[in-house]
Amino acid sequence: MGTYVVRRVLGMIPMVFLITVFVFLIMHAAPGNAFDAIMNPAIKDIEQLKEQLEHNAGLDQPLWWQYVHWLGLFVTGNWGFSFTHHVPVTDLVGPAIRNTLILGILAEVLTIAVGVPFGILQARNPYGKFDYTSNIVLFCLYSVPFFVFAIFMIYFFAIDLQWFPAQGSTGTGPNAGTLGDHLYHALLPALSLAVVNSTVYSRYTRGSMLDVARKDYVRTARAKGLEEGRVFTKHVFRNGMIPIVTQFGLDFGNMVGGLIITEGIFQYQGMGQLVIDAVNGRDYNVIMATTVLIAIGVLIGNLLADILYAVVDPRIRYD
Amino acid sequence: MAEPLLAIKNLKTYFISKDAEVRAVDGIDIEVQPRQVVCIVGESGCGKSMTSLSIMRLVPKPKGKIVDGEIWFNGRDLLKLSEDEMTDVRGNEISMIFQEPMTALNPVLTIGEQITEVLLRHRKLTKRQALAKAIEMLQFVGVPRASEIVHEYPHQLSGGMRQRVMIAMAMVCEPKLLIADEPTTALDVTIQAQVLELMKKMREDFDTSIILITHDLGVVADMADHVVVMYAGQVVESTDADSLFAEPTHPYTKGLLASIPSLEEEKDVLYSIPGTVPDAAAFPQGCRFADRCPIAQPSCREKMPELREVKPGHFVRCDLV
Repeated sequence: MGTYVVRRVLGMIPMVFLITVFVFLIMHAAPGNAFDAIMNPAIKDIEQLKEQLEHNAGLDQPLWWQYVHWLGLFVTGNWGFSFTHHVPVTDLVGPAIRNTLILGILAEVLTIAVGVPFGILQARNPYGKFDYTSNIVLFCLYSVPFFVFAIFMIYFFAIDLQWFPAQGSTGTGPNAGTLGDHLYHALLPALSLAVVNSTVYSRYTRGSMLDVARKDYVRTARAKGLEEGRVFTKHVFRNGMIPIVTQFGLDFGNMVGGLIITEGIFQYQGMGQLVIDAVNGRDYNVIMATTVLIAIGVLIGNLLADILYAVVDPRIRYD
Repeated sequence: MAEPLLAIKNLKTYFISKDAEVRAVDGIDIEVQPRQVVCIVGESGCGKSMTSLSIMRLVPKPKGKIVDGEIWFNGRDLLKLSEDEMTDVRGNEISMIFQEPMTALNPVLTIGEQITEVLLRHRKLTKRQALAKAIEMLQFVGVPRASEIVHEYPHQLSGGMRQRVMIAMAMVCEPKLLIADEPTTALDVTIQAQVLELMKKMREDFDTSIILITHDLGVVADMADHVVVMYAGQVVESTDADSLFAEPTHPYTKGLLASIPSLEEEKDVLYSIPGTVPDAAAFPQGCRFADRCPIAQPSCREKMPELREVKPGHFVRCDLV
């Protein structure tokens, strides 16, 4: 297992490298740059000033040189300055990563905490009343795009009932910056992601549990004299969770896409918000840093899912 | 003869769905004496597996249902026990081994976990004691490196080893009755013989009665004290093993025995009974074998023959013999 992890981590390096090349090219193919966004067009001699600023930032150099220059600094930990925020990129991404992790983990926990038990309850009595009614409800929820759902959540829970803040990642009161306050702010966006995602998990869980319940070894477990509860926890559930873990692994990529949009809707100061602002402002250093971090995040997520896969299924061995 | 260990009386197990009633087991009577090996023989779909699952009360729910009958085991009617009481019987007093040892073992639990599970359920043992007992049992059934095997998973073992593990698991609480549902069908011939030997040894050492379900008459000849031939959910012939092979009486039994290839005769085509088993959702009114029977008379199709005693201890469901 140890060597497998090392091999996988080493394999990530060329992957991340290719992603940086790709993003760098696309970024520069987009029209305009950071100075077009921040300069007041009424300034005298604007062309000359722009040339001066571009020269200072190295933007007049050939593209390959700019890339190599960026890469050299990046790997040594110098991630440059943000053109629009005028602070080191590292100061921006630190809190953003923390906020996104809070939101992402909360959303994933809620997704599984809602979806898996629902699927199990449905599988307990397939084609029964609860199965049918809950399926209709879940199917309706699944059909709602999560960003529409998010807007409804804001309307009801933040504006109408005023139970939760409508935006931001932390408040200004005495609790500002505490973990509790962060979770409080993350709950609504996390829910809007989780409700829709959990419908997928409930379907997977239901199918998987029903599939396993028919297996011969479940009959063996009953023939041993085990009670139904024990047959379920030890035999059905453990085997039924294997496909769910696979789904969990595939989810990391989807989650990132969902997070970016959700953070935008809730004005939540995370990586997604940072990426959108950086792309709009052509803030090259921030774009590069956030893209690399997100790519590494997704790759690590997939690796974790593969490791988890081997933990739940002893037939899978990496060596 | 002593009080039978198991007495099945008029057992009926049906599969009931909206538009059909499939009579998988349709009024069978079987007795098993202590230390006896009873073979239930018949072709696929004749109800032999459903009979065994009925004894364990493990008929697939919700469609399968035991609609009538009694199953007396050790002085109690198993069909009258509550589900809780029944779980005390399963794996403890009656245990079962299945046809396919690969799929009958849980792939994500170690061999040790799967065997100790039975002990921890039925015996007051600590985990350590249970594991020691499991290793002892594995050694008894001839699994080499038993103390290492308990930490391995089913996929790491061969088919024969897995079936030995199944037997160890079934026998670890020393049940009075072992039901083996085609335990050797999925194994190759040399392993088959070893597994059958092992089951004989189990009977000798633990005084266990065995119900062996098979369609292999070679296995019957090797193992059986008493043979029950089933056809279309009914018992068609029931007698001791010697007289079954010496004087098969029911036309179906004769057909089965005639289908065995022999070394003496040169045949181009092996004998087979013509036709197929009737649909269990729409059994004919008369004898169920009539359509395939070489000696059938018009009267056979009108009235269902009763199981009658043609000689002491030899029962046949045919009016013509």
